[in-house]
Amino acid sequence: MNILAIDWGNAFDIVGFSITMVFILLVMIVFVLNIFSRVVAPKVRMPKAPSVDNPVSTSSSEKEYVEEHLPAGHSAAIAMALYLYYEEAHDEESTVITIKTVERRYSPWSSKIYGLNNLVK
Amino acid sequence: MKTKKIIFILIAFLYASISANVSAQTVENSDSLAIATTSQDSTSEMQQIDEPTSGLTFIAHSFTNFIKSTGFANINWQTILMIFIACVLLYLAIVKQFEPLLLLPIAFGMLLTNLPGAGLFNTDLFAGGHVHWESFVDKGGLLDYLYLGVKLGIYPCLIFVGVGAMTDFGPMLANPKSLLLGAAAQLGIFATYLAAIGLGFTPQESASIGIIGGADGPTAIFLTSKLAPELLGPIAVAAYSYMALVPVIQPPIMRLLTTKKERAIRMKQLRIVSKKEKIIFPIFATAFISLLLPPAAPLIGSLMLGNLMKESGVVERLSKTVQNELMNIVTIFLGITVGATATASSFLSLQTMEIMVIGVLAFSFGTASGLLLAKFMNLFIKEKINPLIGSAGVSAVPMAARVSQVVGQETDPGNFLLMHAMGPNVAGVIGSAVSAGLMLTMLS
Repeated sequence: MNILAIDWGNAFDIVGFSITMVFILLVMIVFVLNIFSRVVAPKVRMPKAPSVDNPVSTSSSEKEYVEEHLPAGHSAAIAMALYLYYEEAHDEESTVITIKTVERRYSPWSSKIYGLNNLVK
Repeated sequence: MKTKKIIFILIAFLYASISANVSAQTVENSDSLAIATTSQDSTSEMQQIDEPTSGLTFIAHSFTNFIKSTGFANINWQTILMIFIACVLLYLAIVKQFEPLLLLPIAFGMLLTNLPGAGLFNTDLFAGGHVHWESFVDKGGLLDYLYLGVKLGIYPCLIFVGVGAMTDFGPMLANPKSLLLGAAAQLGIFATYLAAIGLGFTPQESASIGIIGGADGPTAIFLTSKLAPELLGPIAVAAYSYMALVPVIQPPIMRLLTTKKERAIRMKQLRIVSKKEKIIFPIFATAFISLLLPPAAPLIGSLMLGNLMKESGVVERLSKTVQNELMNIVTIFLGITVGATATASSFLSLQTMEIMVIGVLAFSFGTASGLLLAKFMNLFIKEKINPLIGSAGVSAVPMAARVSQVVGQETDPGNFLLMHAMGPNVAGVIGSAVSAGLMLTMLS
């Protein structure tokens, strides 16, 4: 197989064109998504850090828009706590199932003194 | 008990001999009538016809014919090797659990197709890249009928509907930059295309081999069935084998190309993506990509249809069906038929070896290019991204994203990269479908 006999020009043209097209297309989608997210994305306002000079207003109208984001570590900790809670929510049962001693308890069901043949005196 | 058995066998043997003799006599009589009219020169021929007339000879003859008709008589070393390969793949699927949902049906399909004389799959019905409909009724085996779904490009699209319904585009919508990482990982496809051209494959075959680098099974099958159907077996097996080996192939490359400091980068939590965004995106993406690149429409359209079913929330039953029942049924059909294309004649060749080697290079190159683009982007952007998520740009959803998470946590156990890596991972699916569409446009 003679590697020089291959039409490398055509092969590189195809590769160059394809790579360019893939990037152009996906970059266009990135731009559209960026614009899109500004228009459609939910309005999220992070709460400002309270200061002495400029305390954060706590009017009810503003409070509605405030949506706090938990850091990933906090979310993971809460998830782990919930997991552990539900894991432990079940009763712990004794795993010992061997009967070591046979107790012969009194039971009226096996008692002969209440038999039908015993007439009431 | 033993004597009874022997007597029973003897009686059966006697009965078989008598009945064989009677039938042979009938044949002899009818033949004698025919032979009487012919010349004396045909006595030798008559002797030949007379040969099986004796009961024992007839049984021996039938027995020889039966032996000749079994697969054991027609077996050769190529078939034995293929059955062995099928058993190795079955072992990997069952014992090692490497992508068993796909590898098990593929391996079993490979086993079925290489059983001599079973006639489950006839390659001549699809010779020359066309379906020979006129021979289908006479020759078509079970796997031939099932293979039509691959040949006509139905199964990959149905799989994509299921994949779409199981995928959350949220991480990608929250961080659109991840689309670029998905695009970068497609460089593996094009580098492999050049390598395959260099090895003497035709451009169509090279494109089909290159798509292995996309790590996207349905896309690889879709493109190969259109451009180089004769290579479907080796390419599908290579693509799915390497997808199963993502946790083995990717980590060394990821560690090699990144520093410990880079691997420890913690990324900002992704913003919340509204339901409205999630619903509009599949509709927009289908229209936009399909108008720009019509050959990609079947794959992109199917992917987005499945996703729209999930995100809209109004067709819960359909969404569940495509995620479970439909996906499972198509996976069975696809796996068996793809395995069936791996016949000894098509699989045991130098070409297959070359495809397997180039395939792993394609995969590695795709991983490396995603990582390197992430590092390059970090030179310009304020909020640094962890380069490990770049490797998830090769599709393999969600395996590649999980690998990013695992490698990231080796350095910093408190670093959660999974959702960040899902962005490039999903973008990789779109990117490989776009690449396949481009290849189809230029080479079909």
